[in-house]
Amino acid sequence: MRKQRFTVAMIVLLLVAVFYAAYWMKSLTTASADGKTVTVVLKSLNVRSDFWQTVSAGAQVAGKQAGAVIDMAGPLQENDAEAQIKALEEAIERKPQAIVVAPYAHERMPEMMQRIRDAGIRLVVIDTPLDVDPKPVFVGDDHREAGKLAGRTAVQETGSHPVAAILTDFKYSLVSEQRREGVLDTLGDFPGSVYGTYYAGDSEDRAYDVAMSLLRDNKPDFNVIVALTPATTLGAAKAIKETASGSKVRLIGFDSTIGEIQLLEEGVLNATVVQKPFNMGYLGVKAALDLLDGKSVSSTFIDSTVVSSANMYTPEIQKLLFPFIENQ
Amino acid sequence: MAKLIRNPPFPFKSIQSSISFAFSCLILASIAATTLFSYRLSVDAVQRNSQGYIEEIIKQVNTNIQSYVDNMENISLLAMTSKDVKYYISDNTFISAEERRPYEKRISDLFQSILYTRKDIASIMVFGYNGRFVSDRRITALNPYAKLEEQAWYKNARDAGGKSVLSAPHVQNIIQNEYRWVVSLSRELKSTDGITAEGVFLVDLNLSVIDAICSQINLGKKGYVFIVDSEGNIVYHPQQQLIYSNLLSERIPEVVAASSGTSFIANDRDGKRMYSVQDTNFGWKIVGVAYTDELIANSGTIRSTILAYSLVGLAVSLLLSLLLSHRLTRPIKKLQADMKMVEKGNFGIQTEIGQMNEIGQLGRTFNMMVSRIKDLMQEIIQTQENKRKNELQLLQAQINPHFLYNTLDSIVWMAEQKQHEEVVLMTSALAKLFRASITRDQELVPIRVEAEHIANYLLIQKMRYHEQLDYRIDIDDAILSYKTLKILLQPFVENAIYHGIRNKPEIGLVTIRGREDGGRIVFEVEDNGLGMTPEQLARIWMPDDEGTRRKGIGIHNVNERIQLHFGHEYGIKIRSEPENGTCVTITVPKLG
Repeated sequence: MRKQRFTVAMIVLLLVAVFYAAYWMKSLTTASADGKTVTVVLKSLNVRSDFWQTVSAGAQVAGKQAGAVIDMAGPLQENDAEAQIKALEEAIERKPQAIVVAPYAHERMPEMMQRIRDAGIRLVVIDTPLDVDPKPVFVGDDHREAGKLAGRTAVQETGSHPVAAILTDFKYSLVSEQRREGVLDTLGDFPGSVYGTYYAGDSEDRAYDVAMSLLRDNKPDFNVIVALTPATTLGAAKAIKETASGSKVRLIGFDSTIGEIQLLEEGVLNATVVQKPFNMGYLGVKAALDLLDGKSVSSTFIDSTVVSSANMYTPEIQKLLFPFIENQ
Repeated sequence: MAKLIRNPPFPFKSIQSSISFAFSCLILASIAATTLFSYRLSVDAVQRNSQGYIEEIIKQVNTNIQSYVDNMENISLLAMTSKDVKYYISDNTFISAEERRPYEKRISDLFQSILYTRKDIASIMVFGYNGRFVSDRRITALNPYAKLEEQAWYKNARDAGGKSVLSAPHVQNIIQNEYRWVVSLSRELKSTDGITAEGVFLVDLNLSVIDAICSQINLGKKGYVFIVDSEGNIVYHPQQQLIYSNLLSERIPEVVAASSGTSFIANDRDGKRMYSVQDTNFGWKIVGVAYTDELIANSGTIRSTILAYSLVGLAVSLLLSLLLSHRLTRPIKKLQADMKMVEKGNFGIQTEIGQMNEIGQLGRTFNMMVSRIKDLMQEIIQTQENKRKNELQLLQAQINPHFLYNTLDSIVWMAEQKQHEEVVLMTSALAKLFRASITRDQELVPIRVEAEHIANYLLIQKMRYHEQLDYRIDIDDAILSYKTLKILLQPFVENAIYHGIRNKPEIGLVTIRGREDGGRIVFEVEDNGLGMTPEQLARIWMPDDEGTRRKGIGIHNVNERIQLHFGHEYGIKIRSEPENGTCVTITVPKLG
């Protein structure tokens, strides 16, 4: 009986010691970085692709802030969906805790998303929404809102009397169509403001031809061209310059390639709607990390910004237009 | 159980458990406190150290950036003092375009030679107010759309009037098709008289230099360095885009308010971090941000080391407390065990007395008590024994009255027959018998006396039953001088005659033997009478009860008497067979 009492006492003490230890261990583990791993699969890893490099930079910053390990993957060339699927397969193989992917629209993509989920990996889709069920968390630009922004800029540039020719690439391009819808949404408030929509594909030359034919025919019946892609913007600008119709026809573009920046300086391009790829990469990884923390995460849409020659050298816009500090 | 609850604080039955428990609680509490304090102290020390370390790093960053800015300043001085530059931008219209070219070449060569040695400089240019300009390149195409007068570095240099002006990082777009992130140092150039302003000099430093300095600084995994100007505008920040998008806020007002070389702690949802601020002498503030949980990078190690040590300490001290409480309670336990022995009836115990402390005194008292009890017990036993002996002596002193009557009858009868000699013999034997019975002075008599006594007795009995009884006394002469109990054999002879022989049709023989055997004296009283069945034999050993008290002295009484006197290894053995007789063996010690 006495022995038993004593053992009981010892057990109590041991338990106290164990709890004590457990308490310390717990505070120890919460203090240390929990080593989250996220693989980001982009559309291109090409160092010349400013857009994707900026996405990558944003992703890295989010990783650094959270002390997580961020892996970058993706095809070396743009528009290589097969290579991206291969990169995804390799990423699944490595079993990160989460995958952030900017997917190409490819028939095998829904299957890949399913495989990511089956492997128990958290999924965040950025840039291009995917029509898969259940819908993954999406972080990307609100293209329709960007289109509305372009439309509003067109209204401003024309003194609230816009007659717009919309120059875009393909009918089946999701992004361009959403932008177009946005533009039409805004212009819908101004009767007779839509001159027409012209599809010029993804080549600058084709866009130039289309714009030239429009400007030559034009007496002019429209006063603003809204070009929904960089290629169409450049083509339209070239046509405007050649026909010297800049005083009559305004040009609203999308994105900020170096050519567009120079056109902005020249004043041929009156305004361009610029995405924030850094924020997309940052918020995409942040959403993935939040998912890993068990928080509920909803899809995020990132605003675009209108850049004109007037604001292009303000600190904020500079950073958007020229994301990288050139290495010598 | 209720009792136990009413007895706080230690719900243990044994003192050892209570002591161990008390010790353990004390130890646990003190170790926990010590651990906590030492952890706090070491964390504080580490934090202070790393604070100093970060300040040192930021100072280093400051020095590095300062050296670049100083260099730019030196380059600007070089340009200012160059006669060619002065002459070139001075408002002298007499120089024709052709005459200008050698000047341009010389200035350009000068700039180029500077540029060759300094990879961090992006470009060096001079703009004269007279519309001329020279750069480090032979052919310079200016961006036609970049208006010089709208450039911040140009305006600020003009406003500063001869002092050098450092711009915030910006994209330099003054050269066609070039968009570089640079930091510009610009300065207005004066004519030789030092009054007339004649142009603006520009040195562009690649921002990648500052970026490299700042991004290479390692302030933990999450820490970073940023720069603000004196108004609090961000000059450089690794996460500038997040700040512009309002995804990140920086503690700008506090940074601006902080004086050089100090640091402060900010704690919000982004985590606890330390801001270390350092002023440069060109108006920038360099700020190092380090996350405190990372500062103490080895805080986990500190913690686990302290924890490991304290656990080991805990184990050791628990063990010690066990040993200590065991040592303290050991004498008590020993005493307790000895008390148990006494409880069981062993009064021969004396507990061991260690130190003369409370427990030692307790032991001494216990010993005294036990020996007192032992004495008392001895006394009681002695009294009882004496009482018993007296009783037995009384018993044996009684002469069986029937024996007396019968003997006297026989004497009368013999007298009537005129058998004088027999009368004399019997009467004298009777008288001797009586004398032996009456003398109460000694309990022990020589065997010789006892032999005489039994001879007298048998003589009388032989005279009474001469047709029925025959006897033989065979006692070794060697033992005659040893002592034995008085009237030891008579009861057995009496039993042999009355129960064994008297009712036997033929003549019976009683044999009495005495000899030494293995250091003892052994007597045998044997008869060839009726003998006894095992049941009868068993009944003999039953002590007399008051109700069935037989006449004479019972066998077991004699046995008891022997054992009282000599101890339990001595006594009586009886073996008997019906129709064959009985033999009683009496063993007594050899007493001189």
